[in-house]
Amino acid sequence: MTIQECYRAIGADYDEVLGRLRSERLIQKFVLKFPEDGSFQLLCDSMDAGDLETAFRASHTIKGVCANLGFARLGASSHDLTEALRARDGAKAAALLAQVKTDYAETITAIRAYQSGI
Amino acid sequence: MRKSKILIVDDSEMNRSILADMLEEEYVVLEAEDGEQAVAVLQEHHADIALVLLDIVMPRLDGFGVLEIMGREGWIEDLPVIMISSESGSDQVARAYDLGVSEFISRPFDALAVRRRVLNTLILYAKQKRLMDMVEEQILETQRQSGMMIQILSHIVEVRNGESGQHILHVRKLTDVLLRALTRKTGVYGLTGEDINRISVGSALHDIGKIVIDEKILNKPGKLTAEEFAVMKTHAMKGAEMLDALEEHRDDPLVRTAYEICRWHHERYDGRGYPDGLRGDDIPISAQVVALADVYDALTSPRVYKAPIPHGQAVQMIAEGQCGVFNPLLLECLRENADNIRRELAADDDESIAARESQNIVNDSVRAAHVSDAASARTLRLLDYERMKHSFFSEMTKELQFEYTVSPSTLILSAWGAQTLGVGEIIADPGRDEALRAVLGEDGWGQFSWHMRQTTPEEPNVGYECPLTYNGQTRWHHIVLRTIWTTDTPPRFQGALGKAIDIHDARQRITALEKKAARDSMTGLLNRAAAKERIGERMEERPNSHYALGIFDLDYFKTANDRYGHQFGDRVLKTVAGRLVHSVRSSDIVCRAGGDEFLLFLEYNTDLERTIDRIFHSLCGPLDDYHISVTMGVARCEDAGQSYEAMFRAADSALYAAKRAGKGRYCFYDGSMRDVLTAISDIDDEQGGTAP
Repeated sequence: MTIQECYRAIGADYDEVLGRLRSERLIQKFVLKFPEDGSFQLLCDSMDAGDLETAFRASHTIKGVCANLGFARLGASSHDLTEALRARDGAKAAALLAQVKTDYAETITAIRAYQSGI
Repeated sequence: MRKSKILIVDDSEMNRSILADMLEEEYVVLEAEDGEQAVAVLQEHHADIALVLLDIVMPRLDGFGVLEIMGREGWIEDLPVIMISSESGSDQVARAYDLGVSEFISRPFDALAVRRRVLNTLILYAKQKRLMDMVEEQILETQRQSGMMIQILSHIVEVRNGESGQHILHVRKLTDVLLRALTRKTGVYGLTGEDINRISVGSALHDIGKIVIDEKILNKPGKLTAEEFAVMKTHAMKGAEMLDALEEHRDDPLVRTAYEICRWHHERYDGRGYPDGLRGDDIPISAQVVALADVYDALTSPRVYKAPIPHGQAVQMIAEGQCGVFNPLLLECLRENADNIRRELAADDDESIAARESQNIVNDSVRAAHVSDAASARTLRLLDYERMKHSFFSEMTKELQFEYTVSPSTLILSAWGAQTLGVGEIIADPGRDEALRAVLGEDGWGQFSWHMRQTTPEEPNVGYECPLTYNGQTRWHHIVLRTIWTTDTPPRFQGALGKAIDIHDARQRITALEKKAARDSMTGLLNRAAAKERIGERMEERPNSHYALGIFDLDYFKTANDRYGHQFGDRVLKTVAGRLVHSVRSSDIVCRAGGDEFLLFLEYNTDLERTIDRIFHSLCGPLDDYHISVTMGVARCEDAGQSYEAMFRAADSALYAAKRAGKGRYCFYDGSMRDVLTAISDIDDEQGGTAP
């Protein structure tokens, strides 16, 4: 799987990202780093613990990283979650978390597939 | 070039790395993962860091918290912050701008935009910093100059009044202390810091009217008669009139204030003072304060007619009304600050006042430049005020003052200077200005530039002498100038400040004296000592040239004296001297070595023998019906050695050889003569026949 195919698999626009970051090396480096970022784990843990403040920051970080890497689908779902958490709306957040988890899993799967192909 | 340091503050490691990757080629990147860490890094390194990239949402301390601390610590004033944000809420943006943020970068990051925005922000701040440095430099310089002018003026008045050298400085200091105490006590007089400064500066001029008072009255040791006192009293009005006569400046605030002080500093609060008999607060507060300061310092300083009175006693005498009637509020200020005043006057000298004042003004204006537009207007007002003060004092001293800026090349002269020289006040490209060339002479500007280039930021002062032509006269001037450099590393040359002082008369006297001492009074030629010195200098300047030294004396000179008398003998010497001067170039050195012996020293390239032959024959020839004949010995430096002494000895030997071969000829030194006797004044066959 090429990096372009990886982007297509997760519903993201590779050309847009390349246009901004201007370096395939950089994109590759950060895409491979993405699974190691602890924010998703922090989000899940703090949601479980009912710590909406920490969950907000974690969700906010995921949203920001997705924006930078051009992960549109996960970016959109984490954006909605961030706004619910900013309003400290626990019930709505719990509902939106499911979509984030789905999108995250899909993104990680694609990245792993890309990684194994290098 | 050294890389600038940038601090990236973001809680997401991924986001930090993306930014760092974009920037690390051109900058040294420091990272902090939350607000608290950022503050810790800034605490230690804020002076080295050129820019901060700051995220808003972070654990522990968020971006706004960091900004508030940066504001409180004053870091935000010289350290630009770019906010990283995906929040575009306008209240957030407004809050960030309020806290001093310069720019925003939004997610997702665009590499080009990030680099461009960082660079733009750095350039903008560097420019602002340079402008601030320039304002600071200018204020300091004008402050220093007007301080110097005030000292000169004060000193002139003091010398004439026979007062202690400190009186005017003391009055100034006292005025300052009393006015500050008064403003703390009451707002009635509406005095601003600027007013106080102006009155203190103006106080230095309170007695300028005494310039026109007869010195006999001014410095009379005993009590003045009624008539004398009446004359003395006119100094107040005279001083005011002098200031009012400064047409161009009479409406300037400083001159207005100085006018009030001059005219009314001998009024009394009860209306019994002079010249106008003003009463109470009809007397301007400036004049009231200076009057009190004047009396206080007069009491506590020694005078020809009295010993100094101790401070405590002086305060008491004034408070009891023994020395005039003053505003009760001012008397309170004096009493309450008596200790303070005594300490200040004892410790203070002029320099520390000037240093402190300029420091204050710089601090004020630099702070002002940051705060707001209103404040920068204040900075400009201060600058204006300094310029006005400067032009006021330069007007009074009638000096040729100038400023030069290198880019674009511009020379700015004081109004009086430009008028005197007959050139423009602002001369663009002075190297090509015709009017200026007429003043400076053909190479004058080149010389000026050369002297500026000899300075360094550590040694910025230089002085030299040159002739200036104006009003149809060429007069010698002493140019002193100080070059100005940027504070960057390495410093760049920006221009210079300076003045030209007419030294023509002094120089004239000195050259005349020098000439007298270096010349033989009968022939006007150099004497032997002076010639020796010049020859030494010449050989040192151009050690690789070919030189020849010749010595000759007159044949049968004794006979001419004996037969025709000493007056005729003198005529012979003068004639030979004249012929000698005319047969050599002006760059050659000739002298009367003593008696009838002469010396010539010349630089040659080819055919020395022909030159010597020509000179020799032009020396000989008839004077009336007497025939002048000389014998000459010549030495080349190649044969004799590269020193005056060696060449003189060798020429002397050659002269001897020539005499032995029969007078009326010249002879060149060669190695074979090394051990020959010398001729000068020792051997001369004066008994030989004459050749009329």
